[in-house]
Amino acid sequence: MMNLHSLALCALVALSCTPKSDVVEIHDWNFGGMPKMIEFLRERVESFERTHPGVRVVQSQKSWNMIREILYADFSAGAGPDVINVHANYAAEFGGAGHYYPLNKFPDFEEVRSWYVPHFIESTMYKGNTYGLPCSAIAFVLVCNKELFDREGVVPPRTWSEFREVARRLTKDTDGDGVVDQYGLVLLGGDRGGFAYRLAPFMLKAGANILSDDMTKVEFNSPRAVAAVKLFADMYQVDHSITPGFLAYTLSEINDLFSSNKVAMSIEGPWFRALVKDKSPGKDLYAVPVPVPDDRIDQYDTAPTLQDMVMYSINAHSKHVNEAWELVKHLRNVESDMAWLSTDMGAIATTMGALNSPEAKNVRDLPMYINELKHARPWPSHPKIIAIANNVIAPYGQKAISGELSPQEAMDRAAEEAREIIEGKQ
Amino acid sequence: MRKSTPYLLLGPALLFTAFVLGYPLLQNLINSFRDVSLLRADSEWIGLRNYTQVFGDDLFWLTFRNTAVYAVVGTVFALLIGLGLAILLNMKIGRISNVAAALYTIPWVISPVVAGFAWKWLLNDNFGIVNYWLSSAGITRGGISWLGNPQTALLCVIVARVWQFYPFAMIMFLAGLQAIPREQYEAASVDGATAFRRFFHITLPNLRAITSVLLVLGVIWSFNDFNMVFVMTRGGPINASMVLPVLVREYSFVHFDLGRGSALSIIVFTLLLVLSVVYLRAASRREPT
Repeated sequence: MMNLHSLALCALVALSCTPKSDVVEIHDWNFGGMPKMIEFLRERVESFERTHPGVRVVQSQKSWNMIREILYADFSAGAGPDVINVHANYAAEFGGAGHYYPLNKFPDFEEVRSWYVPHFIESTMYKGNTYGLPCSAIAFVLVCNKELFDREGVVPPRTWSEFREVARRLTKDTDGDGVVDQYGLVLLGGDRGGFAYRLAPFMLKAGANILSDDMTKVEFNSPRAVAAVKLFADMYQVDHSITPGFLAYTLSEINDLFSSNKVAMSIEGPWFRALVKDKSPGKDLYAVPVPVPDDRIDQYDTAPTLQDMVMYSINAHSKHVNEAWELVKHLRNVESDMAWLSTDMGAIATTMGALNSPEAKNVRDLPMYINELKHARPWPSHPKIIAIANNVIAPYGQKAISGELSPQEAMDRAAEEAREIIEGKQ
Repeated sequence: MRKSTPYLLLGPALLFTAFVLGYPLLQNLINSFRDVSLLRADSEWIGLRNYTQVFGDDLFWLTFRNTAVYAVVGTVFALLIGLGLAILLNMKIGRISNVAAALYTIPWVISPVVAGFAWKWLLNDNFGIVNYWLSSAGITRGGISWLGNPQTALLCVIVARVWQFYPFAMIMFLAGLQAIPREQYEAASVDGATAFRRFFHITLPNLRAITSVLLVLGVIWSFNDFNMVFVMTRGGPINASMVLPVLVREYSFVHFDLGRGSALSIIVFTLLLVLSVVYLRAASRREPT
């Protein structure tokens, strides 16, 4: 018995004395994404490991809704993954705080930079540094329920007055029981971030800014921005063409309503077609630019909408930045980006090689999205912009639409709070 | 046995308690006097500023009112329903009572997160069964947006809270009812007391201690209830159903202001501490000395 114990002890000591493996372990966190994209990324990582035998990648899938909480908790502890797939507009917030590694420090960065549509990669910059490689570009557009539009004999609206009129016409009692059961528009009100992302495209299309170009002044309470809020307030309070319960809706409920013909329009992006297809196979939709104010109809195709994007970043605290860089390039090169054309990833490719390829011509809605993205603007590159969008613009926008405050009063109060945030008083 | 032996034996448990309870509480208290943010590595001592910010925030007072309504109304209704069902179960109608008792306790054993999602779907304005029943019965016309309307959202989370808490109250009351000596009822019947008088002069006085314990416990647990409200409404719409534990999360992990979040959690802790003292006194009154 004693001998057996001695043997086990020797084996344990021998094992613990074994030289450390030369394999570098990279942790790669992916936030959100459609199942097809997650599957593709898994395959892509496997191909990376085959071509880089000295690197092992540990992939983790995280909740999109908890992205900031998770990152801040990890970064503040000096931890976190080596590679992160996050919102591009976090470049200012996390890059500015020193949590992202500046990719422009890599010697081959200029060559890698040339892969991308220039303004996409500019969206990942903050104070001269590039903090991520673009992935999954998104332009916010208006999606219209084709079945309801065709049945009513209306076409997707181009101006705000057409938008109101179409929403009014498509709000109706379809079964004749005296109760409205189909609404013109649904808004995502149960997710503050998501709500701000749906209000901002109308402000931008109206020619308003969120912040001034030098990012020192708040401008989302300008007359044009307030007019965008008033448009929704009138649709909700006067026309009653927005679903009454929008303040509780998440994307899942919007998809349910759209797929079951209870709403005719929603402000979404390229992900929505795949979501609807999953829920209601065969259901079709029109994806068109967000309407513009009547006096800007000449800019219908050129007025900016809101651009959103994901980027691949490297943790500044990573001990393996070079290996992480190799992985990021492998995940985001043109070859990889071609998958955004061959498969519906719910977003648009970001490399010029993919977007200019012959395959791009066969992708539905792509020309419209490319055109919208050409003019689209991301949220201003300010470290506090997410806090302003989620905690100020969204709640005050909701107060204005639901009638708790007038649009001007709501946006003025929001602007006041946003100024306090920018000046660091909050 | 030496005098110090019991203390030595208690030592590990006390150390463990200090580590898992004392340390976080102390750190939270320290954070509440510092400008701590997840956005920055450094922090500075700012005295009572976090507390003055919390007390100066209109949202805090709205949330405090919501929490008080949620806790008091939710607990009172849960107790009334629990008492009613306990009285029915105490009648011992064959095996039905046992089956019913098991069924009635189901809400208590369901996870609040699961229950929250279930209630969210039950109350859905377009596909929820509550609206379906109401419109089928001709009570309402069309789907009411229960959770999307600032006027009804808090009411809905209170209903869900009542549904989850009443089984506990029912079991406690049932135990209390079974402990009342039958002789008291028999004597009252001989004296010609009606069922109504027997209830108010025998049943209720005998349940007074249990009722006070349940009231305090219910209010304490409601003040601490995060899951149900967060899952159902996240405190919305437009903060209409915001309660204190959700606001602590809001300050700490939405605004990333840990200092303010800590200050608010210390305020909630102090409130609950006071209620706990009340509970302990009520509980000690229940025990015959």
